[in-house]
Amino acid sequence: MQPNAPASQSQTASPNPWSSLPGYGPALVLLILAIPLGLLVGFFYGAAALILAAFSFITARQVLQQKARAEQQTAQSGELLLQSQKLAAIGELSAGIAHEINNPLAIIRQEAEWLLQLSRKESSPDLEEIKNCLTEIVRQVDRSREITQNLLNFARRRQPVVQAVDLTRLIEDMTLLVEKEALNRHITINKQFQPDLPVIFSDSPLLRQLLLNLLNNAIQAVGQDGTVTIITRVVADKQVMIQINDTGCGISKEHLTRLFDPFFTTKPPGKGTGLGLSICHGIVERLGGGISVASEVGKGSSFTIKLPQALAPQEI
Amino acid sequence: MDNFRILIVDDEDDFREAVIKRLRARKLDVEGADSGPQALERLSEQDFDVIVLDVKMPGMDGIETLREIKLKKPLVEVIMLTGHASVESGIQGMQLGAFDYVMKPVALDDLMDKLRQARERRAIQMEHGR
Repeated sequence: MQPNAPASQSQTASPNPWSSLPGYGPALVLLILAIPLGLLVGFFYGAAALILAAFSFITARQVLQQKARAEQQTAQSGELLLQSQKLAAIGELSAGIAHEINNPLAIIRQEAEWLLQLSRKESSPDLEEIKNCLTEIVRQVDRSREITQNLLNFARRRQPVVQAVDLTRLIEDMTLLVEKEALNRHITINKQFQPDLPVIFSDSPLLRQLLLNLLNNAIQAVGQDGTVTIITRVVADKQVMIQINDTGCGISKEHLTRLFDPFFTTKPPGKGTGLGLSICHGIVERLGGGISVASEVGKGSSFTIKLPQALAPQEI
Repeated sequence: MDNFRILIVDDEDDFREAVIKRLRARKLDVEGADSGPQALERLSEQDFDVIVLDVKMPGMDGIETLREIKLKKPLVEVIMLTGHASVESGIQGMQLGAFDYVMKPVALDDLMDKLRQARERRAIQMEHGR
């Protein structure tokens, strides 16, 4: 991320003289009035008017120059804001990881301190309690490993392995995995697959991850009693489109812009790490495609993925 | 890659042996393991191309075993076996590098298809010298 030169530098150097006319207004008025004043009232008044005009002119000039500089700074800080937002996103990522790992660490500490206390007791130690503490510690370590493993997976830049993929079958398989959950929640999964969808050349496990994440999100968004619709179609430019629509809670406009950020989640703390959609975004990029989302709060959301029919093996 | 070696990992003895028998009938080189630790032991003794791994096992479960397999032999393809559809373990498994999922009861043709695709993927990856 290199700093870019501020975009709007052009017009701030020398302001359009006509636009700054209001600034010089008082000076001009005094200038014009100086001569008639001098003639009518007296020389000193005329001279005074001239001096005032001069001062007014200097002040106006300084004010206008300040204004120009301020405008330039605003443009620059606009760029900086964008960059700092990007850095903030990275900061958020680190903060996210730190927060996630702090929780199991805190519990490990508690258990360890309790074990220390137990070890200092005069009487013989309660083995059951010791076992409980240690079991909890092991559990929290596993939890931490999962967090770091998720992050590693997210950060891993593996080149996709290209194979012939029967997309319809792949989506059917992944739908089978979520079907039981959907049934329990009285959610209907509606499949509208293009019947003769051609075999595409892509990375199948990545596609599976992508679909599982999106289907899971759709089901979670609906909650209970609703529909998740999956549509596949060949689209122009040798691409296939997969669309997943849900009749769920929808996504607000502010959330939409941050939707694919790592660790962004609308779930309560402890439920979900927010890596799902950012993983999806990463996968779609690696597969040479694009993902877009449309949503209306209270109505539902629609995720559209476009993928090339053939991912060249060299592409990343 | 002529010798296509498969390892079936499942604590249900009847199920595991049945799958092994049917795959061997199709002329495949198949071994079995009844637990995660045993699977890892077999893996250290010989190379396998694809491992079919049950998600729910007592002790070291499928996800934990998958993690260990990917640490030891990252290029081995793993197909997860699930007795009941579980989205969480599905997502987890895929994120940890599982190639695909098969639901019990296993339709043998389905499994054969997936084994073939897994083998193909492994061949491509080995070609790339990774």
